[in-house]
Amino acid sequence: MTSAPARLLPRRDLEARTALSDTARRHRPVSAAHERVIPVPGPLGELLPNAAMTRGAVVGVEGIPGAGASSVALTLAAAVTEVGEWAAAVDLGGSLGGRAAAEAGVALDRFAVVRPPPGGRFPLDRWAAVVATLLDGMSLVIAELPRSVRGADARRLVARAREREVILVPFGPARTWGADTTLRVRATGGEWPGLETGSGVLGERTIRVEVDGRGAAARTRAGALVLAS
Amino acid sequence: MNGPTRTLCVWCPDWPVVTARRARPELVGVPVAVVDRVDGRVVVCAASREAREETVVPGLRRREAEARCPTLVVVDADPAADMRAFEAVARAIEAVTPRVVLERPGVCTFPTRGPSRYFGGDVALTALVLRTVRTAGVIGARVGIADGPFAARLAARAADPDGARVVEPESTPAFLAPWSVRALIPADTEPDSDVVALADLLGRLGVKTLGAFAALPAPAVLARFGSHGARLHRLASGFDEHSTPPAPPPPDLVESAELDPPATRVDEAAFAAKTLADRLLGRLAGLGLSCSQVVVEAETEHGERLTRCWRHEGALTPAALVDRVRWQLEGWLAGSECEPEDAFTTAGLTLVRLVPEEVAPADGRQLGFWGGDAAARDRADRVLARLQGLLGHDAVVTAVPCGGRTPAERVRWVPWGDARDDRALLDALEWPGTVPGPSPARVYSPAIAAELLDGDGVPVGVSGRGEATAAPARLVCAALPDGGGPVQAWAGPWLHDVRWWDRVTRRRRALWHVVVGDPDTTACLVGLEGGRATVEAIYD
Repeated sequence: MTSAPARLLPRRDLEARTALSDTARRHRPVSAAHERVIPVPGPLGELLPNAAMTRGAVVGVEGIPGAGASSVALTLAAAVTEVGEWAAAVDLGGSLGGRAAAEAGVALDRFAVVRPPPGGRFPLDRWAAVVATLLDGMSLVIAELPRSVRGADARRLVARAREREVILVPFGPARTWGADTTLRVRATGGEWPGLETGSGVLGERTIRVEVDGRGAAARTRAGALVLAS
Repeated sequence: MNGPTRTLCVWCPDWPVVTARRARPELVGVPVAVVDRVDGRVVVCAASREAREETVVPGLRRREAEARCPTLVVVDADPAADMRAFEAVARAIEAVTPRVVLERPGVCTFPTRGPSRYFGGDVALTALVLRTVRTAGVIGARVGIADGPFAARLAARAADPDGARVVEPESTPAFLAPWSVRALIPADTEPDSDVVALADLLGRLGVKTLGAFAALPAPAVLARFGSHGARLHRLASGFDEHSTPPAPPPPDLVESAELDPPATRVDEAAFAAKTLADRLLGRLAGLGLSCSQVVVEAETEHGERLTRCWRHEGALTPAALVDRVRWQLEGWLAGSECEPEDAFTTAGLTLVRLVPEEVAPADGRQLGFWGGDAAARDRADRVLARLQGLLGHDAVVTAVPCGGRTPAERVRWVPWGDARDDRALLDALEWPGTVPGPSPARVYSPAIAAELLDGDGVPVGVSGRGEATAAPARLVCAALPDGGGPVQAWAGPWLHDVRWWDRVTRRRRALWHVVVGDPDTTACLVGLEGGRATVEAIYD
């Protein structure tokens, strides 16, 4: 986008070109060696090895409230529902935004949310059982971490995810999770350039993201996701 | 409707136990269980009478069976030996009628119209068959005659050991009526999970007997349980399992393979048979047909011709067909390896042929049209239903966008499995006063208490005209990182005065977009209602 000829193009053509290259990336055949992957389109995909998540991988997402971690997790869920598969989220506080999921590209009829019943609390003693059950039937499970997770539980969930070839997304601090992750996506904050003191509009935002992990992702990659409304 | 063919069924109970005892005579008189591996678990697939008296029943796990009966002798299943032994029985029955149809090792049926008239009636025929089977060395076989193979099998189950039960013509529905719906599940064999699920469901719905099931109107059964349920309903009513009589299949559907060099080992022949079975069912599926009865034919180098007809409740799946063909070939070939004197073949097989005998329109399965992975949907639904059982119906939800102004109003959470009832039209309408910008990823309902302060530390208020008393300078809230901080940027307030015509549900509040924190910024939606500030949502 920043190359010289691109800058000379009229804005309309630029958008068309971006859309075209996005479509091409989304529909290019996946190489046989990485057959069991789910491609992640968009700027987040550029930070991931091969622009995809391997089935059975553990992709941790963390970030303080407001840093954009929820948006990152929903983008991963969107990649799964886009290929026609099912995703689910364990939402301990019952605060996940359904609209935001739709705007991130999640197909809502293939996206289930486990949340505390109205007026109730989430039974934290059953958290591991709930996540394990979801791993039986989904292609991606976003598991919001409670304050503490037993190491044995975490390791069992990792093993189960690998066996069932389900992508597990522990959502919360890496320290709490305490078991291996294949990838770790950290949202470290961002800007809202549209809003000023007393004027402007909350529109375009950037989320700074760092990705590190094992194997192909060992080198930490950092980038900014630009989300326009 | 076409009445079902009058059928005789020979049932040798616990056939795997019988063959195991024949191979190891020391097992006679002791509790024996034959175990097989099903889905990675070792479960009992047949148990002797002595074991059943100790409550060892098929379907138990091996360890549990051993706990119930400490003297239990556990034997591994050997379908090839079962088939080899049953092939001799089938040959003996072939002396009575040429049209013997095998269902599985231990059970075979044949239509009785010709034989019954020739041998002088149903009762005389059953006596002859029992004598034949006993001469072949089988003790405790049971014989039943009724209209249709399903009823005949139940009649055999109702008979005494070494006895027969003849259900008079036309009285089959009355005979079936008192049976439990669980009789739909074939005894001592690997049950079809759909049949088990339906039988369980009927039991839970209070339809306990086949008679009660048959009394339900057929169109209602079709609407509620699909074509699979309709098939079982026809069985329970004493009709033929196919709604249209099975047509003779087109002759070009015969699949055959020449084996060169001749196959003398089972695995060589079975490998060829697997390709045949896949090809046959593939072609039938292409024609929209399913096959429930197939003839396996083989020829040997010495010109011997072997044929055997196999039948399967419902439609043969590729795996079921391959199993049966393999059993049959083992029955023919393996005998020649170990016991030459009662071998059925004297040379290797040169030809294997599969002839579909009964085909019916395939109406059992309809896959989804788009992205058609019905299995994945089923799996997801099952898992979510299990969680709803664990946590409560409204603990597993899915989001449905709907019209509204604030982020909390603009989405409805519908329990999984309930109608989504997409109100896309309402959603597409412009709602004046909608909070602008992207939707927040964290929406708090109820909102979290906060304090919105101006530069002097005084709470910001809103006048009756919707104007802020001062510029917000600081936001304090427990949900924010570091408990809040200085306001970097803001927009608002927007006044929301909704339902002003209704005294009870009227809400009057002001909303701000606030970007707070230094250096890490957090964008949130702050509401002010009745003088109290709250954080309604965070743009995470």
